[in-house]
Formats: sequence, C-alpha cells, structure tokens
Amino acid sequence: MAKTFFLDGKEIPFQDGQTILDAAMKAGEYVPHLCSSPLLDPHSSCRVCTVLVNGRPFSSCSQPAVAGQQVQSNAPEVRQLRRTIVQMMFTEGNHYCPSCEKSGNCKLQATAYYLGLHDNRFNQMFPKRGMDSSHPDVHLDRDRCILCEICVRASRALDHKGVFGAVGRGIKHELSVNSPSGTLVDSAIAPTDKAVELCPTGALQPKNRGFQVPIGERLYDREPINVVGLRQYEECVHGK
Amino acid sequence: MPETTAVAWAEALDRVLARYDKNAESVLQACIDLQEEVHCVPPEAQVAIARALGVTTLRVKGVVSFYSFLSDTWLGEYVVYLSDNITDQMLGNRALAQRLCGRLGVEIGRVRGDGRVSVHLTSCTGLGDQGPAALINGQAVTRLGPERVDQIAQLIEARRPLAHWPGEFFRVVTNIRRSDGVFRKPVPPGEGIKACLGRGAQVTMPHTEELNPEDAGQAPLDRVSEEILKQIQASGLRGRGGAGFKTAIKLDTVRAQKGRERYVLCNADEGEPGTFKDRVLLMEYPDMVFEGMTIAALGVKATEGVIYVRGEYRFMKDHLEGALARRRQLGLLGKDILGSGLDFDVRIHWGAGAYICGMETAMCKSIEGRRGIPRRRWPLPVHQGFRKRPTLINNVETFAALATIGLNGGKWFARYGTEQSSGTKWFSVSGDVDRPGVYEYPHGVSLREVLRDSGARDAQAVMVSGASGTLVAEADFDRALAFEDLAGVGTLMVFGRQRDLFDVAWNFAHFFQHESCGLCTPCRVGTTLLVSILEKFKKGWGTQLDLEDVKLLATTMKLGAHCGLGQTAPNHLVDAITRFPHVFEGRMQTRDFTPAFDLNGALEEARQLAGRTDVAAFVPVH
Repeated sequence: MAKTFFLDGKEIPFQDGQTILDAAMKAGEYVPHLCSSPLLDPHSSCRVCTVLVNGRPFSSCSQPAVAGQQVQSNAPEVRQLRRTIVQMMFTEGNHYCPSCEKSGNCKLQATAYYLGLHDNRFNQMFPKRGMDSSHPDVHLDRDRCILCEICVRASRALDHKGVFGAVGRGIKHELSVNSPSGTLVDSAIAPTDKAVELCPTGALQPKNRGFQVPIGERLYDREPINVVGLRQYEECVHGK
Repeated sequence: MPETTAVAWAEALDRVLARYDKNAESVLQACIDLQEEVHCVPPEAQVAIARALGVTTLRVKGVVSFYSFLSDTWLGEYVVYLSDNITDQMLGNRALAQRLCGRLGVEIGRVRGDGRVSVHLTSCTGLGDQGPAALINGQAVTRLGPERVDQIAQLIEARRPLAHWPGEFFRVVTNIRRSDGVFRKPVPPGEGIKACLGRGAQVTMPHTEELNPEDAGQAPLDRVSEEILKQIQASGLRGRGGAGFKTAIKLDTVRAQKGRERYVLCNADEGEPGTFKDRVLLMEYPDMVFEGMTIAALGVKATEGVIYVRGEYRFMKDHLEGALARRRQLGLLGKDILGSGLDFDVRIHWGAGAYICGMETAMCKSIEGRRGIPRRRWPLPVHQGFRKRPTLINNVETFAALATIGLNGGKWFARYGTEQSSGTKWFSVSGDVDRPGVYEYPHGVSLREVLRDSGARDAQAVMVSGASGTLVAEADFDRALAFEDLAGVGTLMVFGRQRDLFDVAWNFAHFFQHESCGLCTPCRVGTTLLVSILEKFKKGWGTQLDLEDVKLLATTMKLGAHCGLGQTAPNHLVDAITRFPHVFEGRMQTRDFTPAFDLNGALEEARQLAGRTDVAAFVPVH
C-alpha cells in the first residue's frame, strides 16, 4: 500500500523521496509555485509554495513528504503569506502588465489573479537593473525578473549551456550573463532554449513575435493557473 | 586607477594562485588574497582566475559581487572600513567617520581622486568591547577617538606603511572579566585527546571481539569514538552558536553515515552584531578549539577539518596558523594522531564580509569557493554538508567546551548550569556598561546579575543574542540566560536610559538589509521594505498603517523566509514596537495614511521655475 499524508485533510499518496509539492500536483491538488519546475531541481527561493507541515512552515517544493504528516496549504495564514510574497514581487520589480508582451502567458500575473491580489500594498521600488536587447532573437529585462533562477538551472541542466548566473547580494542580487561582453549577443542563448520558455515572467522573451495571440485569448486568459498548472505538470511528468 | 596598480595585479595573481590547488574550491580564497594584495579583483583578473581554476568568469564575478570585502574596482592604497554596529554608533563612530573623511577630503564609499584612500562603513567587526573600531587594509584598529582619527589621517597623507604605524592602534585586548568552572583552567594541548584515548582503551565493547581480524586495527578507534559520544551525551552539551542543538545528536548522526569522507567544520564566522567571545577564545585559547575539533574528529572519524574564520579576524592569521603548526609538531594534528589511528588535519578558510556564511549550509558553499547562499533545508549538513559529505559543524565555543569534556568527562561538565542548559557560557557584553568584555557564567544566571557585574548604567533595555535576538525591557531583567529562557549566542548589548531605541531598530534594520543574501523573496524584499518604513519614521512621517505593515512583513518573513536570517530579522523591530511603543509614536503623524514623500516639497522646484508663490500653487494640507 502506498504511503500517504494529509493535505488540508485530504489523503495524498506519495513515494519515498517525493516532495510535498510533487505528490500534491500528481494527485491533482494545485499548490501555487513560481520557482519550481518538475524538470529542474528545487530552488525554494520564491517561497510561494510554502505550506504548514504539522504547524511548521516549509517550502513544499523541497520538503520530502513523510507518511501521516498533516499539511496545510489552504490555511488563512498560508493564503495571506502567499499574497504578501507575490505583492513583494510586484513591489520589487517593474511589472506593468498592460504593456508587457507576456501578459496572459505570465505565471506571476496568473498567480496574482489566483491569489486574489488587488494591489501591491507596499511602496514601489522602481529598480533600474537594466535591459539586455543585444541579441537579435532574445530579450532580457532584469526589472521583470523575480530571481527564481529557473533560467540559470534550465540553461545548465536542460540546454547544457550555462548562459545565466547570479551576481550581487541582497536587494542587489540580479541575473548575469555568461559571455565575454556580459550581454546575450555573444552568449550561447537561442530563442528556443528551455531557459527562455520556462521563464515565469516577462524577463526573458523571444523577440519578433509580439501579439501573435491577442490579449484576452492567451493561456491564462482562458483558464486559471491552477487548471493550466496541473495539466502542464502532468504533460511534463509524462514527457520526462 | 594608476597604471602601476593595473600592472601589479597580474604579478600578484601569480603569487596568489601558486598558494592554492587549481580547482573551483580555491576561487574565494584566491580572490581574498588578491584583494588583500592589490585592493581589488578587477574584471580582467576575474577572467584570469576563472581560467586558472577551471570555472566560468561568471562564477568568479558572482563571488566577488557577493562578499562585502571584495571589489571589482580599485579601493585605493589605504582602505578604511569603520565598524558601524549600534555600539559603535553609540560611541560616536559616525562623527569620527565625518572627521576622518573631512581630514582626508573624501566621501564615504568613494575613492579619493589621487587613489590614496577610501573610507567605508561595515557591519560589526567583533570589537564591541573596544570600539569604535575599524579595519585598515584588513588590520583591526581599536578605540578610535578624535585624536587617533587625526593621526590616522596624517599617516595616510604621509603615505606611511601600516607596519610603521604606532602598534598601539592595532592592540586588540581580550577583556576576560569573569571566569567560571569550565574555562578557568584551560586544557593543556593534547591532554583532552589523551584522556579520550585512555577512556577508549579501558572499555571493552562486547561486539568488537567478534570483528574480523583485518578490522581489528580499526577497533580501538571505534571504541574511542563510542566513548567520546557517551561523554558528550553525559555532558548534555548544546551548540553555543545560538541554536542550542544537542551536540551529541549531531555527532552521532555524522558518525552513523556511510562512506569514508566526513568533515569537521568550526564556525568562527561570528557575525552576530555585538558578539566577540569567539574572537577572545581564538586569541586566548586556540589550542582548546583545535583540541575540541580533533576530539570531534575522533568521535566521527573525520578525515579533514576546516575552521571558517570571518574576514574581520584576519589580524589573527599568523596567530592561528602558528597554533596549527605547533600542534602538527606535537603530533596533535596529522597522521595517526597520538597513535589513535586517525589521520586528521585542520586548515583555515577565510570569509570576506558576509554574515550569512555563519549559516551552516551557506558556510559549506563558501568553503567550496562559492557564493554563501544557504541551501534548501534537506538533507541536513550532518547527512550532506561540505562537498555533499557528512559534516559536523559547531561553533568555536562548542569545540572549546568539547576539549574540557574530553579532559574532565561529561558528568563534570554537567555539574554546571541548569538541567536543560548544562555547562557555562561565555557572554559578550557591550554598550552602556563600565566593564565591557567577556564573562563566563554557569547557564541560568539572571540577566540582572550580569548587568550588575558588568557595571550597567541605568539600563532601559538589553538586546540579548545580537541583532537577531530579543530586545528585553527592564521588567524582564530577572529572566535567566539559558536555552529554556533567554536563549542565544550570549550577546548582551546594553542600552542606557539616555539612548533612543529607535536608533537601535534603525541600525539593525539596515544591518539585515545589507546582509540578506538575496535568495528568497520574503527576506530580500522584506528587509528592504522594513528599512524604507523606518526611514519614513525617521522623518517623522510614520503612520499606524506603517506599523501594520511592519507586523505583516514580520509575519511573512518569519513564516516564509528560507533561513534563520530572514526569519529572525524582524524580531528586534517587533519587540521594540511591542515593548517600547512610545519610540515610534513620537515619530508618527496622527492620520492612518501619510505618503512616503512630501508632495509640496516635490513641487517646490516647479513653483520656483514658474515663479509661483500664490496659494493655488500649493497642495492643500489637511
């Protein structure tokens, strides 16, 4: 018999070594997350997937499931925590959805809708981390980056290129490009890279394909992220 | 940058690289040495280091941009870091900084035009009992005052080498004000190890008789290891770095792991503001610390030991290397230590200005030559730590205590302290006291007793256990300093009644913003937002809503942050708001909401340009 734990009272089966997030998603229970992908090692940096395990907070993307444990993903304090974290992301970066090509396909935006965000609450920081438009086919806007480092991990583990890395510390932490000039133009990046595809925000986008799908008809315009997320998770796991 | 310096890095780098293995683990140490020699790690040098050590340039850049004391631009011939802890500020360090900058004609954070000097502020340098303190070209300078600052400015103008400066400037004292049972009689080198080996020889373990003949050579070490564990269990020793985890459980877990390679790491990062007891232990009793590490190594059968020393303590480099060399000569480190069958040695790994590296998993990354980013919680370092091998990490004081337990036994140690907090504890006491320094007491001593003994002057509050600890008001001075009550690393910063506790909150908020590694959202953004809210209060524009925001941010960080830094960063502020509300109320507008900027002030320039002074050109103020 498979081992199980309890997610908001519901029994979830899991295999040894599986994380809480993995087991929950496999069982069709959506837990919001931004820095996690079934294709990559966990990073536990965005903290949106935080749950209470027997009353203590853990990031479900990196915490192994244990038989019999009580996991709360829908407790009021967890919901408030996630809302505040996503508000922090909107505060820290320049996320102007109406003028962003990623709008409607953006996980950050879709997660904000899912969590019922109405405002950013805190004072905007208006960062000036800088753009990189040097490459003919890929665009990097660091001010739309939430530092999930999915591109860092994907470029290394899936694209086998290691194009990205992190520099700086604290609020000066930012994405950097591994190339002689430090810009994308002389890096090994391609618009078809997983690093570009998996970026959850508008930070990394392919160029030359603006508004091919009109706003209002895009991925998360049609279905909310909990539905899309579970479907993508299943496709991903089967594809592996 | 003057041309001579630009050329110099290449030669210096050759010298530096010759000291290290040509692998990725050497990145941080090579950068530190180059910074020390030429006062920068320029981008061209980063490329050269990357090539020589077989890593990407981006990895080197990531390291240089992470550690405070590394810089990709030249910092000048003389690099001055003024310690900026609250205790330094209380002793007037900011005025001294202004004075020094005025004398030298330089702005804080900028290099003077002729490349002679730059002056910076830095987190607590571990000299809170003899501040205001500074680091000049990496060397610790103590007891700054107007006169000393003027002399320093003159010496820099005269371009005198540091070696020719008055030795008194660099005198670091230990200030041990009180000794108690455990450290009153230091363990003579080797005696703790010998006692452990002796105990192991006396005991016959039933199962060892059944071992294969080829394993027989290992059997004595197994018995020694078992006996060491028993003594530590009997001692009840808990980690002295603040968390208070049972040392025996850690040791037993590492011991039980498979595989030959396992490590013993000593945490001498001591970054918690106001803490300096580990510095004193390393200055006064380095042998006890290394003895404790060796006993731990016998306990877990470790192959290699590393002591991670914060960059601020670079002045102890020769002292610590000398102590290690002596122990090697005595056969207390190296091959087959005292006939035990254990090969074990200790090397020093230097930090470079990063509080986060005191966090176990961040420390492992740093020793691997990387950015000090804490890793996810599981597996624990005892399972997979340094180089993903089982790793025992303990604080300096814990290892020193292990030496005494090794010599005198666990029961002897447990005679001191309380049931849940055995042994004695070293306290770093600073701030408004007559006798700042290090005090040893049995665990369970009341805060009031320590305050009395150290000559506290009319204290209104004490920050217990550093910036991440608890701000304790006078009503709670009778509480006990022990893991079951006021727990922590044993740091007491005392604030007299004349102090404005807002300055304390402001200082610590800035400290955490500066030291956040930036990995996780709640800490990276939360520490920054707390600073911006305090800046608003500083201008007298605080509101009730801001206090609500502080509470929301504090909850978010406590629940959501990846590691202890972010989880504890808002504690001091929540304590201050709860226990000393008047501190904030005096800086508040009465309204629920006040914008973070002055709208009329922002329009002033436009009014001037338009030549308007009429009422309609002003925003009505309600």
